[in-house]
Amino acid sequence: MRALWVVASKELLDLFRDRRTLLLGLLMWPLLFPALILGVGGLAEQRMRTQLEKVLELPVLHGERAPNLLAFLRSRDIEPIAPPPDPEAAIREQEHDVVLAIPEDFAGLWRESRPARVELWYDASRQDAQIPVERVQKAIEAYGQQLGVLRLLARGVDPAVARPVFAVRKDLSTPEARRGMILAFLPYLLILSAFLGGAYLVIDATAGERERQSLEPLLATPASREAIMSGKIAAACLFGMLSLLLILASFKGSFALASLFSSGPFGAVDVSWLAVAKLLLILFPMVLIGTTLLTLISASVKSVKEAQTYMSVLMLLPIVPTIALLIHPVKNQLWMFAVPFLAQNQAIMNVLRGEAIGLAEWAVYLASGLALGLLLWLVAARLYHRERLAISA
Amino acid sequence: MIEASGLVKTFRTRGGVIRAVDGVSFRAEAGRITGLLGPNGAGKTTTLRMLYTLMAPEAGEIRVDGLDPQREPERVRARLGVLPDARGIYKRLTARENIAYFGRLHGMEEEAIARRTALLSEQLGMSDFIDRIGEGYSQGQRTKTAIARALIHDPPNVILDEPTNGLDVMTTRALRDFLRQLREEGRCVIFSTHIMQEVALLCDHIVIIARGRVVAQGSPEELKERAGTPNLEDAFVRLIGSEEGLIA
Repeated sequence: MRALWVVASKELLDLFRDRRTLLLGLLMWPLLFPALILGVGGLAEQRMRTQLEKVLELPVLHGERAPNLLAFLRSRDIEPIAPPPDPEAAIREQEHDVVLAIPEDFAGLWRESRPARVELWYDASRQDAQIPVERVQKAIEAYGQQLGVLRLLARGVDPAVARPVFAVRKDLSTPEARRGMILAFLPYLLILSAFLGGAYLVIDATAGERERQSLEPLLATPASREAIMSGKIAAACLFGMLSLLLILASFKGSFALASLFSSGPFGAVDVSWLAVAKLLLILFPMVLIGTTLLTLISASVKSVKEAQTYMSVLMLLPIVPTIALLIHPVKNQLWMFAVPFLAQNQAIMNVLRGEAIGLAEWAVYLASGLALGLLLWLVAARLYHRERLAISA
Repeated sequence: MIEASGLVKTFRTRGGVIRAVDGVSFRAEAGRITGLLGPNGAGKTTTLRMLYTLMAPEAGEIRVDGLDPQREPERVRARLGVLPDARGIYKRLTARENIAYFGRLHGMEEEAIARRTALLSEQLGMSDFIDRIGEGYSQGQRTKTAIARALIHDPPNVILDEPTNGLDVMTTRALRDFLRQLREEGRCVIFSTHIMQEVALLCDHIVIIARGRVVAQGSPEELKERAGTPNLEDAFVRLIGSEEGLIA
């Protein structure tokens, strides 16, 4: 046990002597994340507001066939304009988000009180088009409803007859949860920095130490290989937690700053110290899993270079559950807290949305996370006992 | 005292199985310097690695002061001071910190570490660089640091793999004196080399290894007698069968 701390403190001393690497490793993310989050968040918010409130210019094909509809649209801040020569090409080239086309039979059907069709042309694969399309569609539906009511009244029928059921929306999301939606990408960033934040330290401590030929003398001391390996893992975990603490503190600081200067969605965000503590607890198993996994890899490869080639694959791992949930959203369930990456994702979202995490969830989460860390530790320890480990080229 | 009997170690390579060490036996007494002489690739480093528990022999037995490295590797390593082929020292730590790190891993108290460091620094002539960061050390300074680090716990047995490799004449001479001093202190010293002059100058007992086997061993006089030559270097060449890979 003493050897473990001797190794850990030496690794940290060694790292702290390497000022430039240390500063980059500790400060780059804390400086970058807030800029990223506040910048991207602010941009998204600004765009949404302009798209919702600005007068929308809507190219209309054959607007002369439906003058009343156009007048109604104008009253809804939608300004019909002359269509471009080739409307389909204009949409494909993103000159316009949406084009309204009035078919030839519109006036005839209208006069016969039969459903008259208009067409909205847009590109559904473009995020940008969503809000304008929705605005135009809602306006047209409102126009249709208004006319429908007038037609029923003209025939002496109570318009309510034609509306047997109607739904009223009641949004029960808490302000914290709405903020959570905005922060949807935060878990990935946090998980990634927990998982691979100390990667270079871990790779350097095993594969690098072997390359610099100092592992063989180290293994010739009476300290057991498990103790040496655990010392290196402990140092990397401590460093990882320190860098996460800095990242979270910088989040807290930048949200506080945002609330001073803007009334945007981040103004309402308050990352309490309790939430920071919870996030650190959630991320600890991830730090352990990342560190042991990288130790395992470093002990099995021939060089630092070879270990680093694994990094690009590892960087994708934390995004897998996010994508899986995007394609196939499921309700929060207990088993999720046992699946690495997915569990962290869910737990972090819970904290950010201000929801309580139950005792059972905590138990399942911590037990499975630490168990996986232990399993990886055991495999890494086996690899540390291989004769090939100490012998550098 | 270190005893090896019938050590065998093979390596699997693409070209097939190589018997790197093939039945090596010898006995290194306390208070004597035992030299393993052989050309590069003869199996010296592999033999030493088995002695300091980095590798397990496939056959044969080792005893270090009567202890079996297979069964009590940690106790064996505690009784060994090892200068491996790999000399890597930590570049961002000073020589003193490098040495203290190993002292702590040997379970030593800080006070004892400081005392031994002062002694070794004086014996090896390290005072001009001991508190400097390892970055930019000369080969000699690195070797001295590595030796001090290996001997910090005052081990009764010392194993050195090619200790004079890459050193200049002055440092080599100082190092030879240091090895003699270790012998005077009653330690069992084993070192490997491919330099004939070195064993001739230092060793009480010489083990000549070629192609993984011990081709001859004994005191310098015994070897000269066996080969029937008055000169030790001629004796080596005759016993090994060629001059390849050796340095006069």
